[in-house]
Amino acid sequence: MARGYRYFEAIEKNAALLGVLTLVMVSLGGLSEITPLFVEAHTVAPAPGVEPYDALRLAGKDIYVREGCYLCHSQMIRALRAETQRYGQFSVASESVYDRPFQWGSKRTGPDLARVGGKYSDAWHVQHLVDPRGVEPESNMPGYPWLAAASIDGADIAARMRALRTLGDPYTDADIDGAAKAVAGKTEMDALVAYLQGLGVDNEPRPDAKASEAAPK
Amino acid sequence: MSPFWSAFVMALIVLNLGITLFLFLWAPRVHIPTLADGTSGHVWAHGVLREGIRPLPVWWLVLSAAMFVVGFAYLALYPGFGAFKGLLGWTSHDQLARAHAVNDARLAPLTERVRATSIESLAGDRQAMAAGERLFVDNCAPCHGRDARGNQRLGAPNLANGIWLHGGDGATILASIADGRRGGMPSFAGAMPDDAIIDVVNYVESLSGLPHDPLRAQIGKRSFSTCAACHGADAKGNKALGAPDLTDAVWLYGRQHATLVETVRNGRSGVMPAWRGRLSDDEMKLLAGYVHGLSHPAVTQP
Repeated sequence: MARGYRYFEAIEKNAALLGVLTLVMVSLGGLSEITPLFVEAHTVAPAPGVEPYDALRLAGKDIYVREGCYLCHSQMIRALRAETQRYGQFSVASESVYDRPFQWGSKRTGPDLARVGGKYSDAWHVQHLVDPRGVEPESNMPGYPWLAAASIDGADIAARMRALRTLGDPYTDADIDGAAKAVAGKTEMDALVAYLQGLGVDNEPRPDAKASEAAPK
Repeated sequence: MSPFWSAFVMALIVLNLGITLFLFLWAPRVHIPTLADGTSGHVWAHGVLREGIRPLPVWWLVLSAAMFVVGFAYLALYPGFGAFKGLLGWTSHDQLARAHAVNDARLAPLTERVRATSIESLAGDRQAMAAGERLFVDNCAPCHGRDARGNQRLGAPNLANGIWLHGGDGATILASIADGRRGGMPSFAGAMPDDAIIDVVNYVESLSGLPHDPLRAQIGKRSFSTCAACHGADAKGNKALGAPDLTDAVWLYGRQHATLVETVRNGRSGVMPAWRGRLSDDEMKLLAGYVHGLSHPAVTQP
Protein backbone atom coordinates (compact mmCIF):
# COMPACT_ATOMS: atom_id res chain seq x y z
CA MET A 1 0.00 0.00 0.00
CA ALA A 2 2.83 2.32 -0.75
CA ARG A 3 0.49 4.42 -2.88
CA GLY A 4 -1.54 5.44 0.12
CA TYR A 5 1.49 7.05 1.66
CA ARG A 6 1.69 9.45 -1.29
CA TYR A 7 -1.60 11.08 -0.24
CA PHE A 8 -0.46 11.56 3.32
CA GLU A 9 2.84 12.94 2.11
CA ALA A 10 1.09 15.39 -0.21
CA ILE A 11 -1.09 16.70 2.64
CA GLU A 12 1.64 16.81 5.26
CA LYS A 13 4.11 18.60 3.03
CA ASN A 14 1.58 21.19 1.81
CA ALA A 15 0.59 23.48 4.67
CA ALA A 16 -2.14 25.25 2.67
CA LEU A 17 -3.85 21.97 1.73
CA LEU A 18 -3.55 20.71 5.30
CA GLY A 19 -5.12 23.95 6.51
CA VAL A 20 -8.02 23.79 4.06
CA LEU A 21 -8.82 20.14 4.80
CA THR A 22 -8.60 20.79 8.56
CA LEU A 23 -10.99 23.72 8.16
CA VAL A 24 -13.45 21.54 6.24
CA MET A 25 -13.46 18.84 8.90
CA VAL A 26 -13.71 21.27 11.82
CA SER A 27 -16.58 23.19 10.19
CA LEU A 28 -18.80 20.12 9.72
CA GLY A 29 -20.05 20.24 13.30
CA GLY A 30 -20.92 23.93 13.12
CA LEU A 31 -22.60 23.57 9.73
CA SER A 32 -24.90 20.82 10.97
CA GLU A 33 -25.65 22.42 14.35
CA ILE A 34 -26.02 26.07 13.44
CA THR A 35 -27.10 26.38 9.80
CA PRO A 36 -30.53 24.68 10.00
CA LEU A 37 -31.57 26.64 13.12
CA PHE A 38 -30.21 29.87 11.66
CA VAL A 39 -32.10 29.49 8.39
CA GLU A 40 -35.29 28.18 9.99
CA ALA A 41 -35.42 30.72 12.84
CA HIS A 42 -38.00 32.85 11.02
CA THR A 43 -40.41 29.92 10.86
CA VAL A 44 -40.93 29.97 14.65
CA ALA A 45 -44.46 31.31 15.18
CA PRO A 46 -45.28 33.40 18.26
CA ALA A 47 -46.82 31.45 21.15
CA PRO A 48 -50.46 32.26 21.98
CA GLY A 49 -50.53 35.49 23.94
CA VAL A 50 -47.17 36.69 22.63
CA GLU A 51 -47.66 40.16 21.15
CA PRO A 52 -45.10 42.70 19.98
CA TYR A 53 -44.06 44.95 22.87
CA ASP A 54 -46.26 47.99 23.34
CA ALA A 55 -44.47 51.35 23.31
CA LEU A 56 -43.74 51.52 27.04
CA ARG A 57 -42.56 47.93 27.32
CA LEU A 58 -40.45 48.31 24.20
CA ALA A 59 -38.75 51.29 25.82
CA GLY A 60 -38.29 49.17 28.95
CA LYS A 61 -36.81 46.30 26.98
CA ASP A 62 -34.24 48.62 25.41
CA ILE A 63 -33.34 49.97 28.86
CA TYR A 64 -32.95 46.37 30.04
CA VAL A 65 -30.50 45.80 27.17
CA ARG A 66 -28.75 49.15 27.64
CA GLU A 67 -28.12 48.57 31.34
CA GLY A 68 -26.81 45.08 30.62
CA CYS A 69 -29.34 43.27 32.81
CA TYR A 70 -28.74 40.17 30.65
CA LEU A 71 -25.20 39.98 32.01
CA CYS A 72 -26.54 38.73 35.34
CA HIS A 73 -30.13 37.67 34.60
CA SER A 74 -31.19 34.98 32.15
CA GLN A 75 -34.64 34.75 30.58
CA MET A 76 -34.47 31.07 29.83
CA ILE A 77 -36.01 28.51 32.15
CA ARG A 78 -34.52 25.16 31.24
CA ALA A 79 -36.47 21.91 31.31
CA LEU A 80 -34.98 20.88 34.64
CA ARG A 81 -37.00 20.31 37.80
CA ALA A 82 -34.84 22.64 39.89
CA GLU A 83 -35.69 25.44 37.46
CA THR A 84 -39.34 24.74 36.74
CA GLN A 85 -40.11 24.47 40.46
CA ARG A 86 -38.48 27.79 41.20
CA TYR A 87 -39.25 29.83 38.09
CA GLY A 88 -42.23 28.15 36.43
CA GLN A 89 -42.87 26.33 33.17
CA PHE A 90 -39.77 26.00 30.96
CA SER A 91 -39.21 28.57 28.21
CA VAL A 92 -39.86 27.83 24.55
CA ALA A 93 -38.52 29.60 21.45
CA SER A 94 -41.95 30.85 20.39
CA GLU A 95 -42.08 33.07 23.50
CA SER A 96 -39.17 35.25 22.41
CA VAL A 97 -39.95 35.84 18.73
CA TYR A 98 -40.29 39.59 19.35
CA ASP A 99 -37.11 39.89 21.41
CA ARG A 100 -34.48 41.54 19.24
CA PRO A 101 -31.94 40.64 20.43
CA PHE A 102 -33.22 37.70 22.50
CA GLN A 103 -32.49 37.99 26.20
CA TRP A 104 -31.95 34.33 27.06
CA GLY A 105 -28.60 35.19 28.60
CA SER A 106 -25.91 32.75 29.59
CA LYS A 107 -25.20 33.67 33.20
CA ARG A 108 -27.20 33.88 36.39
CA THR A 109 -25.72 36.04 39.08
CA GLY A 110 -29.29 37.01 39.84
CA PRO A 111 -32.37 34.86 39.28
CA ASP A 112 -33.97 34.03 35.96
CA LEU A 113 -36.53 36.64 34.90
CA ALA A 114 -38.40 34.79 32.15
CA ARG A 115 -41.59 34.65 34.26
CA VAL A 116 -40.97 37.36 36.84
CA GLY A 117 -43.99 39.37 35.64
CA GLY A 118 -46.56 39.69 38.41
CA LYS A 119 -44.40 37.94 40.99
CA TYR A 120 -43.75 41.23 42.81
CA SER A 121 -45.63 44.49 43.03
CA ASP A 122 -44.67 47.53 40.95
CA ALA A 123 -43.60 49.26 44.16
CA TRP A 124 -41.27 46.37 44.93
CA HIS A 125 -39.60 46.70 41.52
CA VAL A 126 -39.14 50.45 41.97
CA GLN A 127 -37.64 50.02 45.44
CA HIS A 128 -35.49 47.15 44.24
CA LEU A 129 -34.14 49.03 41.23
CA VAL A 130 -33.39 52.16 43.25
CA ASP A 131 -31.84 50.37 46.21
CA PRO A 132 -31.70 46.56 45.87
CA ARG A 133 -30.54 46.02 49.43
CA GLY A 134 -33.53 47.90 50.75
CA VAL A 135 -35.65 44.87 49.92
CA GLU A 136 -33.06 42.10 49.56
CA PRO A 137 -30.38 42.59 52.23
CA GLU A 138 -28.06 40.00 50.66
CA SER A 139 -28.42 41.18 47.06
CA ASN A 140 -25.28 42.22 45.20
CA MET A 141 -27.19 43.88 42.37
CA PRO A 142 -26.23 47.48 41.67
CA GLY A 143 -28.84 50.20 42.11
CA TYR A 144 -30.28 52.08 39.13
CA PRO A 145 -31.64 55.23 40.80
CA TRP A 146 -31.20 57.45 37.75
CA LEU A 147 -33.92 55.58 35.87
CA ALA A 148 -36.57 57.33 37.96
CA ALA A 149 -35.33 60.73 36.75
CA ALA A 150 -34.79 59.89 33.06
CA SER A 151 -37.59 60.56 30.61
CA ILE A 152 -38.39 58.69 27.41
CA ASP A 153 -38.35 60.19 23.93
CA GLY A 154 -41.65 59.26 22.26
CA ALA A 155 -40.45 60.01 18.73
CA ASP A 156 -37.50 57.73 19.30
CA ILE A 157 -39.74 54.85 20.42
CA ALA A 158 -41.97 55.38 17.35
CA ALA A 159 -38.86 55.18 15.14
CA ARG A 160 -37.82 51.94 16.81
CA MET A 161 -41.28 50.49 16.23
CA ARG A 162 -41.06 51.43 12.54
CA ALA A 163 -37.66 49.75 12.34
CA LEU A 164 -39.06 46.61 13.97
CA ARG A 165 -41.95 46.66 11.51
CA THR A 166 -39.53 46.49 8.61
CA LEU A 167 -38.12 43.39 10.30
CA GLY A 168 -41.58 41.84 10.31
CA ASP A 169 -43.06 42.70 13.73
CA PRO A 170 -46.79 43.31 13.20
CA TYR A 171 -47.07 46.88 14.49
CA THR A 172 -50.02 48.83 13.10
CA ASP A 173 -49.91 52.50 12.11
CA ALA A 174 -52.09 53.18 15.17
CA ASP A 175 -49.51 51.50 17.42
CA ILE A 176 -46.74 53.65 16.02
CA ASP A 177 -48.75 56.87 15.99
CA GLY A 178 -49.82 56.24 19.57
CA ALA A 179 -46.29 55.50 20.80
CA ALA A 180 -45.41 59.07 21.74
CA LYS A 181 -48.65 59.45 23.69
CA ALA A 182 -48.16 56.08 25.42
CA VAL A 183 -44.78 57.04 26.84
CA ALA A 184 -45.52 60.73 27.46
CA GLY A 185 -44.61 61.69 31.00
CA LYS A 186 -43.25 58.23 31.77
CA THR A 187 -39.80 57.71 33.22
CA GLU A 188 -37.33 55.02 32.29
CA MET A 189 -38.21 53.44 35.65
CA ASP A 190 -41.88 53.18 34.62
CA ALA A 191 -40.84 51.61 31.32
CA LEU A 192 -38.48 49.06 32.85
CA VAL A 193 -41.02 48.06 35.50
CA ALA A 194 -43.71 47.70 32.82
CA TYR A 195 -41.35 45.50 30.81
CA LEU A 196 -40.47 43.34 33.83
CA GLN A 197 -44.12 43.03 34.88
CA GLY A 198 -44.96 41.76 31.39
CA LEU A 199 -42.34 39.03 31.30
CA GLY A 200 -43.80 35.58 30.82
CA VAL A 201 -47.23 36.52 32.11
CA ASP A 202 -49.45 35.79 29.14
CA ASN A 203 -47.34 33.36 27.21
CA GLU A 204 -46.71 30.58 29.69
CA PRO A 205 -47.12 27.32 27.76
CA ARG A 206 -50.41 25.80 28.85
CA PRO A 207 -50.21 22.94 31.34
CA ASP A 208 -52.41 20.68 29.19
CA ALA A 209 -50.08 21.23 26.21
CA LYS A 210 -47.19 20.31 28.46
CA ALA A 211 -48.92 17.15 29.63
CA SER A 212 -49.50 15.91 26.10
CA GLU A 213 -45.92 16.69 25.08
CA ALA A 214 -44.55 15.03 28.16
CA ALA A 215 -46.73 11.93 27.95
CA PRO A 216 -44.54 8.82 28.03
CA LYS A 217 -44.32 7.19 24.63
CA MET B 1 -36.97 20.28 11.26
CA SER B 2 -37.83 20.21 7.56
CA PRO B 3 -36.91 17.11 5.50
CA PHE B 4 -34.30 19.13 3.63
CA TRP B 5 -32.42 20.21 6.76
CA SER B 6 -32.80 16.77 8.26
CA ALA B 7 -31.12 15.30 5.16
CA PHE B 8 -28.50 18.08 5.31
CA VAL B 9 -27.57 17.18 8.87
CA MET B 10 -27.59 13.45 8.12
CA ALA B 11 -25.31 13.98 5.12
CA LEU B 12 -22.82 15.99 7.15
CA ILE B 13 -22.79 13.39 9.94
CA VAL B 14 -22.25 10.56 7.45
CA LEU B 15 -19.51 12.56 5.75
CA ASN B 16 -17.77 13.44 9.00
CA LEU B 17 -17.97 10.02 10.62
CA GLY B 18 -17.29 8.33 7.27
CA ILE B 19 -14.07 10.22 6.65
CA THR B 20 -12.79 9.87 10.19
CA LEU B 21 -13.69 6.20 10.45
CA PHE B 22 -12.10 5.50 7.06
CA LEU B 23 -8.90 7.27 8.11
CA PHE B 24 -8.90 5.48 11.46
CA LEU B 25 -9.15 2.08 9.79
CA TRP B 26 -7.02 2.74 6.75
CA ALA B 27 -4.16 4.95 7.89
CA PRO B 28 -2.52 2.43 10.29
CA ARG B 29 -2.40 -0.08 7.43
CA VAL B 30 -0.67 2.24 4.98
CA HIS B 31 2.89 1.16 4.32
CA ILE B 32 5.38 3.92 5.03
CA PRO B 33 8.58 3.55 2.98
CA THR B 34 11.68 3.41 5.17
CA LEU B 35 15.41 3.70 4.59
CA ALA B 36 17.82 0.89 5.30
CA ASP B 37 18.30 2.12 8.90
CA GLY B 38 14.55 1.88 9.58
CA THR B 39 13.90 5.64 9.64
CA SER B 40 11.49 7.51 7.40
CA GLY B 41 14.16 9.71 5.91
CA HIS B 42 12.71 12.84 7.57
CA VAL B 43 15.50 14.70 9.31
CA TRP B 44 15.57 17.70 11.63
CA ALA B 45 18.29 19.79 13.20
CA HIS B 46 20.68 19.23 10.33
CA GLY B 47 20.49 15.48 10.55
CA VAL B 48 20.82 15.19 14.32
CA LEU B 49 17.20 14.03 14.65
CA ARG B 50 15.86 11.37 12.33
CA GLU B 51 12.23 10.26 12.34
CA GLY B 52 11.61 6.62 13.15
CA ILE B 53 8.52 4.55 12.37
CA ARG B 54 6.42 3.39 15.31
CA PRO B 55 2.95 1.90 15.43
CA LEU B 56 0.30 4.09 17.06
CA PRO B 57 0.12 3.60 20.84
CA VAL B 58 -2.45 1.01 21.90
CA TRP B 59 -4.13 3.39 24.39
CA TRP B 60 -4.69 5.89 21.57
CA LEU B 61 -6.20 3.25 19.30
CA VAL B 62 -8.45 1.94 22.07
CA LEU B 63 -9.69 5.39 23.10
CA SER B 64 -10.33 6.40 19.50
CA ALA B 65 -12.24 3.19 18.81
CA ALA B 66 -14.26 3.77 21.99
CA MET B 67 -15.14 7.27 20.80
CA PHE B 68 -16.51 5.85 17.55
CA VAL B 69 -18.55 3.29 19.47
CA VAL B 70 -19.96 5.97 21.80
CA GLY B 71 -20.67 8.28 18.86
CA PHE B 72 -22.58 5.68 16.88
CA ALA B 73 -24.44 4.45 19.96
CA TYR B 74 -25.44 8.02 20.84
CA LEU B 75 -26.80 8.70 17.38
CA ALA B 76 -28.71 5.42 17.48
CA LEU B 77 -30.23 5.93 20.94
CA TYR B 78 -30.73 9.69 21.26
CA PRO B 79 -32.01 12.48 18.99
CA GLY B 80 -29.18 13.90 16.87
CA PHE B 81 -29.16 12.16 13.48
CA GLY B 82 -31.27 14.67 11.55
CA ALA B 83 -34.94 14.26 12.39
CA PHE B 84 -34.39 10.70 13.70
CA LYS B 85 -35.69 10.67 17.27
CA GLY B 86 -33.46 7.89 18.52
CA LEU B 87 -34.42 4.38 19.62
CA LEU B 88 -34.98 5.43 23.24
CA GLY B 89 -37.41 8.19 22.25
CA TRP B 90 -35.73 10.41 24.84
CA THR B 91 -36.85 14.03 25.15
CA SER B 92 -35.90 16.63 27.72
CA HIS B 93 -39.61 17.18 28.41
CA ASP B 94 -40.08 13.48 29.28
CA GLN B 95 -37.07 13.65 31.52
CA LEU B 96 -38.51 16.69 33.28
CA ALA B 97 -41.87 14.97 33.72
CA ARG B 98 -40.11 11.93 35.18
CA ALA B 99 -38.08 14.11 37.54
CA HIS B 100 -41.30 15.74 38.74
CA ALA B 101 -42.97 12.34 39.16
CA VAL B 102 -40.05 11.06 41.23
CA ASN B 103 -40.14 14.17 43.40
CA ASP B 104 -43.91 14.07 43.78
CA ALA B 105 -43.66 10.43 44.87
CA ARG B 106 -41.04 11.35 47.45
CA LEU B 107 -43.23 14.15 48.75
CA ALA B 108 -46.42 12.05 48.63
CA PRO B 109 -46.55 11.31 52.38
CA LEU B 110 -46.12 15.00 53.16
CA THR B 111 -48.64 16.02 50.50
CA GLU B 112 -51.20 13.58 51.93
CA ARG B 113 -50.71 14.95 55.43
CA VAL B 114 -50.96 18.53 54.19
CA ARG B 115 -54.23 17.78 52.42
CA ALA B 116 -55.65 16.03 55.48
CA THR B 117 -54.56 18.66 58.01
CA SER B 118 -56.13 22.05 58.65
CA ILE B 119 -53.99 25.09 57.92
CA GLU B 120 -53.96 25.99 61.61
CA SER B 121 -52.63 22.54 62.59
CA LEU B 122 -49.81 22.42 60.03
CA ALA B 123 -47.50 24.17 62.48
CA GLY B 124 -47.29 20.89 64.37
CA ASP B 125 -45.77 19.14 61.36
CA ARG B 126 -42.05 19.83 61.26
CA GLN B 127 -41.60 18.60 57.70
CA ALA B 128 -44.48 20.78 56.51
CA MET B 129 -42.94 23.76 58.29
CA ALA B 130 -39.56 23.08 56.67
CA ALA B 131 -41.19 22.96 53.23
CA GLY B 132 -43.22 26.06 54.07
CA GLU B 133 -40.12 27.95 55.10
CA ARG B 134 -38.39 26.99 51.84
CA LEU B 135 -41.38 28.29 49.87
CA PHE B 136 -41.52 31.43 51.99
CA VAL B 137 -37.86 32.25 51.41
CA ASP B 138 -38.20 31.69 47.65
CA ASN B 139 -41.42 33.60 47.14
CA CYS B 140 -42.43 35.81 50.06
CA ALA B 141 -39.13 36.96 51.57
CA PRO B 142 -38.43 39.57 48.85
CA CYS B 143 -41.20 41.74 50.31
CA HIS B 144 -41.88 40.39 53.81
CA GLY B 145 -38.25 39.61 54.65
CA ARG B 146 -36.65 36.30 55.53
CA ASP B 147 -37.73 36.75 59.12
CA ALA B 148 -41.27 37.67 57.94
CA ARG B 149 -41.09 40.97 59.83
CA GLY B 150 -42.20 42.97 56.81
CA ASN B 151 -40.69 45.92 54.98
CA GLN B 152 -41.84 49.46 55.71
CA ARG B 153 -40.43 50.74 52.42
CA LEU B 154 -43.07 48.69 50.65
CA GLY B 155 -45.71 48.66 53.33
CA ALA B 156 -45.30 44.88 53.40
CA PRO B 157 -46.81 43.85 56.73
CA ASN B 158 -45.04 42.02 59.51
CA LEU B 159 -46.41 38.46 59.40
CA ALA B 160 -44.96 37.33 62.71
CA ASN B 161 -46.50 39.74 65.22
CA GLY B 162 -50.03 38.35 65.28
CA ILE B 163 -51.52 41.57 63.92
CA TRP B 164 -53.51 41.13 60.73
CA LEU B 165 -54.93 43.54 58.19
CA HIS B 166 -57.40 41.07 56.73
CA GLY B 167 -57.55 38.42 59.41
CA GLY B 168 -55.18 35.80 60.76
CA ASP B 169 -57.22 32.62 60.47
CA GLY B 170 -55.96 29.99 58.04
CA ALA B 171 -58.63 30.53 55.40
CA THR B 172 -58.05 34.29 55.28
CA ILE B 173 -54.28 33.88 55.05
CA LEU B 174 -54.76 31.35 52.24
CA ALA B 175 -57.09 33.78 50.44
CA SER B 176 -54.49 36.58 50.78
CA ILE B 177 -51.86 34.32 49.25
CA ALA B 178 -54.00 32.86 46.48
CA ASP B 179 -55.75 35.99 45.24
CA GLY B 180 -53.46 38.73 46.50
CA ARG B 181 -54.52 41.92 48.22
CA ARG B 182 -54.68 45.53 47.20
CA GLY B 183 -54.31 48.25 49.78
CA GLY B 184 -56.40 51.28 48.89
CA MET B 185 -55.76 54.24 51.15
CA PRO B 186 -57.04 57.21 49.11
CA SER B 187 -55.18 60.49 48.80
CA PHE B 188 -56.66 63.31 50.90
CA ALA B 189 -54.50 66.06 49.43
CA GLY B 190 -57.45 67.39 47.44
CA ALA B 191 -60.16 66.64 49.99
CA MET B 192 -58.57 68.26 53.04
CA PRO B 193 -56.46 71.38 53.52
CA ASP B 194 -52.87 70.52 54.39
CA ASP B 195 -53.32 71.96 57.87
CA ALA B 196 -56.22 69.62 58.52
CA ILE B 197 -54.13 66.67 57.34
CA ILE B 198 -51.43 67.51 59.86
CA ASP B 199 -54.08 67.92 62.56
CA VAL B 200 -55.54 64.50 61.84
CA VAL B 201 -52.09 62.93 61.79
CA ASN B 202 -51.50 64.40 65.25
CA TYR B 203 -54.76 62.84 66.40
CA VAL B 204 -53.72 59.44 64.95
CA GLU B 205 -50.35 59.77 66.69
CA SER B 206 -52.14 60.43 69.98
CA LEU B 207 -54.05 57.14 69.64
CA SER B 208 -50.95 54.99 70.10
CA GLY B 209 -48.99 57.31 72.35
CA LEU B 210 -46.64 58.71 69.73
CA PRO B 211 -45.27 62.21 70.34
CA HIS B 212 -47.90 64.69 69.16
CA ASP B 213 -49.28 68.20 69.60
CA PRO B 214 -52.35 67.78 71.91
CA LEU B 215 -54.03 70.92 70.60
CA ARG B 216 -53.72 69.84 66.96
CA ALA B 217 -54.82 66.35 67.94
CA GLN B 218 -57.99 67.84 69.48
CA ILE B 219 -58.71 69.67 66.22
CA GLY B 220 -57.78 66.61 64.15
CA LYS B 221 -60.20 64.42 66.05
CA ARG B 222 -63.05 66.34 64.43
CA SER B 223 -61.91 65.49 60.88
CA PHE B 224 -61.32 61.85 61.83
CA SER B 225 -64.94 61.07 60.95
CA THR B 226 -63.74 60.92 57.33
CA CYS B 227 -61.16 58.31 58.28
CA ALA B 228 -63.66 56.42 60.42
CA ALA B 229 -65.45 55.22 57.30
CA CYS B 230 -62.67 52.66 56.85
CA HIS B 231 -60.67 52.67 60.09
CA GLY B 232 -63.76 52.74 62.34
CA ALA B 233 -64.89 55.37 64.81
CA ASP B 234 -62.64 53.76 67.42
CA ALA B 235 -59.78 53.68 64.85
CA LYS B 236 -59.44 49.95 65.42
CA GLY B 237 -59.46 49.26 61.69
CA ASN B 238 -61.68 47.05 59.57
CA LYS B 239 -60.51 43.61 58.54
CA ALA B 240 -63.14 43.33 55.81
CA LEU B 241 -61.51 46.29 54.06
CA GLY B 242 -57.97 45.59 55.19
CA ALA B 243 -57.94 48.99 56.93
CA PRO B 244 -55.27 48.88 59.62
CA ASP B 245 -55.84 49.40 63.33
CA LEU B 246 -54.40 52.87 64.11
CA THR B 247 -54.22 52.34 67.85
CA ASP B 248 -51.87 49.37 68.05
CA ALA B 249 -48.51 51.11 67.54
CA VAL B 250 -47.81 48.86 64.53
CA TRP B 251 -47.14 50.78 61.35
CA LEU B 252 -47.03 49.50 57.79
CA TYR B 253 -44.92 52.31 56.37
CA GLY B 254 -43.28 53.54 59.56
CA ARG B 255 -44.34 55.74 62.46
CA GLN B 256 -42.38 58.87 61.55
CA HIS B 257 -44.52 62.00 61.46
CA ALA B 258 -43.48 62.77 57.88
CA THR B 259 -44.39 59.24 56.77
CA LEU B 260 -47.87 59.48 58.31
CA VAL B 261 -48.43 62.89 56.71
CA GLU B 262 -47.32 61.45 53.39
CA THR B 263 -49.74 58.53 53.80
CA VAL B 264 -52.74 60.79 54.41
CA ARG B 265 -51.70 63.34 51.81
CA ASN B 266 -50.93 60.99 48.91
CA GLY B 267 -52.61 57.76 49.92
CA ARG B 268 -51.07 54.31 49.72
CA SER B 269 -51.63 51.46 47.32
CA GLY B 270 -49.74 48.44 48.61
CA VAL B 271 -50.01 45.38 46.41
CA MET B 272 -49.77 41.76 47.46
CA PRO B 273 -49.52 39.75 44.23
CA ALA B 274 -51.81 36.77 43.62
CA TRP B 275 -49.97 33.45 43.77
CA ARG B 276 -52.66 31.20 42.34
CA GLY B 277 -51.25 29.72 39.16
CA ARG B 278 -47.67 30.43 40.17
CA LEU B 279 -47.87 28.11 43.19
CA SER B 280 -49.86 24.89 43.44
CA ASP B 281 -52.77 24.52 45.88
CA ASP B 282 -50.61 22.34 48.13
CA GLU B 283 -47.79 24.86 48.08
CA MET B 284 -50.16 27.72 48.96
CA LYS B 285 -51.60 25.67 51.83
CA LEU B 286 -48.09 24.92 53.11
CA LEU B 287 -47.31 28.63 52.97
CA ALA B 288 -50.52 29.57 54.75
CA GLY B 289 -49.69 27.03 57.46
CA TYR B 290 -46.16 28.39 57.78
CA VAL B 291 -47.33 32.01 57.98
CA HIS B 292 -50.07 31.09 60.48
CA GLY B 293 -47.49 29.22 62.52
CA LEU B 294 -45.24 32.28 62.74
CA SER B 295 -47.59 33.91 65.22
CA HIS B 296 -49.38 30.83 66.55
CA PRO B 297 -47.19 28.32 68.38
CA ALA B 298 -47.77 24.71 67.41
CA VAL B 299 -50.66 23.16 69.29
CA THR B 300 -49.69 19.53 68.83
CA GLN B 301 -46.32 17.90 68.40
CA PRO B 302 -46.01 15.07 65.88
